Order: sequence, then C-alpha cells, then structure tokens
Amino acid sequence: MTATRDGRLLLGLQQEMGAMTAARTLQMCLANVAENEPYIARGRTLADLRDLGLGLGDSAVVIAAGPSLRRRDPVPILKAKGFRGAVIGTESALSHCLRQGLVPTVCVSVDPHPLRIVRWFGDPDLDDQRLANDDYFRRQEQDPGFADEKRKNDELLALMAEHGTSLRIALGTTSSPDVVRRVHEIGMQVFWFNPMLDDPDLPGSQTMELYRRNGLPCMNSGGNVGGACWMLASAVLGKARVAVTGMDLGYHADTPLLNTQYYYEALALAGEDRVHEMYIDIHNPHTGEWYYTDPAYYWYRSAMLEMVRDSDCETHNCSGGGTLFGDDIRWTPLETFIDGASA
Amino acid sequence: MSDVLKGNFDTRHRVLAEKKEETLEDRFEMEAKKRLGGSIAFVSKKKVMWDAPKGDKS
Repeated sequence: MTATRDGRLLLGLQQEMGAMTAARTLQMCLANVAENEPYIARGRTLADLRDLGLGLGDSAVVIAAGPSLRRRDPVPILKAKGFRGAVIGTESALSHCLRQGLVPTVCVSVDPHPLRIVRWFGDPDLDDQRLANDDYFRRQEQDPGFADEKRKNDELLALMAEHGTSLRIALGTTSSPDVVRRVHEIGMQVFWFNPMLDDPDLPGSQTMELYRRNGLPCMNSGGNVGGACWMLASAVLGKARVAVTGMDLGYHADTPLLNTQYYYEALALAGEDRVHEMYIDIHNPHTGEWYYTDPAYYWYRSAMLEMVRDSDCETHNCSGGGTLFGDDIRWTPLETFIDGASA
Repeated sequence: MSDVLKGNFDTRHRVLAEKKEETLEDRFEMEAKKRLGGSIAFVSKKKVMWDAPKGDKS
C-alpha cells in the first residue's frame, strides 16, 4: 500500500525554508562572488539587458524544465505560432530548446551549486568520478535524456559550440565559478546581476554589501531559477503578460519518490518510515489530475504565488499541469496566450 | 563588568546552568535541514529590483 503523502513534515518545515536556504547557500554564494570578480568586472549588467528592449510586444514566455516540458512541449507551439515576444529559459531548459532549433531570447542561471549546474551547459570536464559522485541527473525527472549522461553531455557540448555566441544569459554573481568559466568559454553574452540574498533595506544586508562592492542590480530570484526567469520577464523586461511553461513545481502522482530532486535529503531528515510525510498531494482543479510536491518545490510555489500577487504583471500558467495555480494566476493554453499577444 | 554580573551572594546549593546535550540526532537533523533548502534566497517583500542608479522597480 502507498503511504499517504500528507505533508505533515513538509508543512512544518516551510517557516524554516528561508533559513535553511541561507544555511546551505549563503557562504557558497559569497565565495562564488569573490571568485567570479575578474569576470564580473568585464561583463555587462541586467540594466544593459533591460535597455536592449528585447522581445516584440507586451508578452513573454518562460520555459522551465519541469516534467510538463516534455508532456506538453511549448517549443513546437512557439515555433508554429511564430511567437515574436521574449522567450526566457532556465539554463536547465536550454538544451531542450536548442535541440529543436529555438534559441531563447535570454536564459538565466542563479544556483550556486558547485557541480550540477555546469552540466546544463555541457561539462567539458565530465569524467567517471564526477558521474559516480552524484546520481542527480540519473534520478531526476527534468530531462530523461540526462539519464544517459555522457551521450547527453557530448550532444550539449556540440550544441553550445554551434549556438553559444548567439545566446544571452542573465547570470547571477553567485553562480558556481565552473559555470562562469564555462559560459565565457562558450562565448555567451553575459549580463550580470546580484541575486538578492536577503532584504537589502535591513542593516548588515549581504545583498547591500554585494551592491556596494560591484554596483550591479540586485534581483529577487524567488528561490529558484524559474522564479528568477519570471521576475526577469516582468520586472526587468517590463512585460505586461508573462506565461510560464514547464513550471510544474511538483511531480505527477505516479512519479516514484526516488525520482524527486530532493529525495535523499528528505530521506535523511525523515527516515524511511516517515519520508512520505515530506511530500504533499495536491489536486489541480484545472486539469483534474493529482500531483505531489516536496518541501523545496512547495516553497518555490508559495514564493511564486506571492510574487505574482504583488506584481502588476498578468501571469498565465501554460504548463498544462503541476501545482502552480491560484487566484492570481490564469490557467491558459499556450496557443491562447500567444494569440492574445500584441506582437 | 563581568565581575558585577557574577552576583554578590552565595546560593544554598551550587547552581549549574542547564545545558542540553546536542544529540547525534540533533546534529543529523541540522545537517539534513541545511541540505534541504532552496536553490537561492527568496526575499519576501514587494521590492523586487534594487538598482539605485537607474531607479528601482517596486
């Protein structure tokens, strides 16, 4: 019998997610910023990106790399409809787009993780030891192509060699130095920003300290790269209508717990007997389907709902599934959203 | 200053500050929690961009 995913432990952790994130990432972020300084000094900024006036019209589409990216692929729709607005992609969705001949207007990377993120750009240093040390890509659901890791990596290296210089990237100063070196090696057009690490208006703010040191715009990244993409589309590019795709912030009900992104962490915290309580089942009223989510994705979901509520931007979820729904988010087929765009 | 804070009286019984021993489970849970956070911070406030020279977007 399947244990109930009632979220008992998940809900109890939500108040601590901000502190847990800081405990896990703050020192890593600051160390990364320090190591990235030589690159930061010679790059452009998010303000320059804003001034480019990217994407025709008032609409943008965010492409994230959740399970719905494959189940309800937005790329063929964007191409068939000839969408001319801005397309903002997470770095994890980049290969999916490029393989189908779609070059995003901008991609975004913010996560400071030392090893994993560089893989989305093709890792020239991928070897057996790196593969053995981390089964994240073999387990995770974002892109099953990554399960065959070496072949996928070779494919991505070739895609980057072909398209790299035409790609713009909004790059968090907190990104792993490996990512920063790789992005520059590829020849991507880099636009820097400081991800907000805390409230810059509070005394002793690390965000304010970063701003004083490098003068870069600071952007609230909403807990993860998908939130950062939405923020970039709405607050930086100033788009009045933003659609999100591939943004499930959860898993289909039949996904094994082992294939969720933070399974080992959840298991370590709760133990085998209670690990299911680290997850919560959510019924999506728009699709009539059940999904479930974990503490991190639930936190991202709450952050997105809050950011959308506080924004003037009209936000549509065109993912076709997942847990991201609420009063301030319109549930819209991507085709309908594109038909309503001004360009 | 520290001498003042020591107090100027004797107690009938020796008082020992209660110090909860950190258990292996406590440390394990703390480490597990550190690994469980999000990718990057989320700042819960309406001001989403902080870019003084060009003006902010609140």
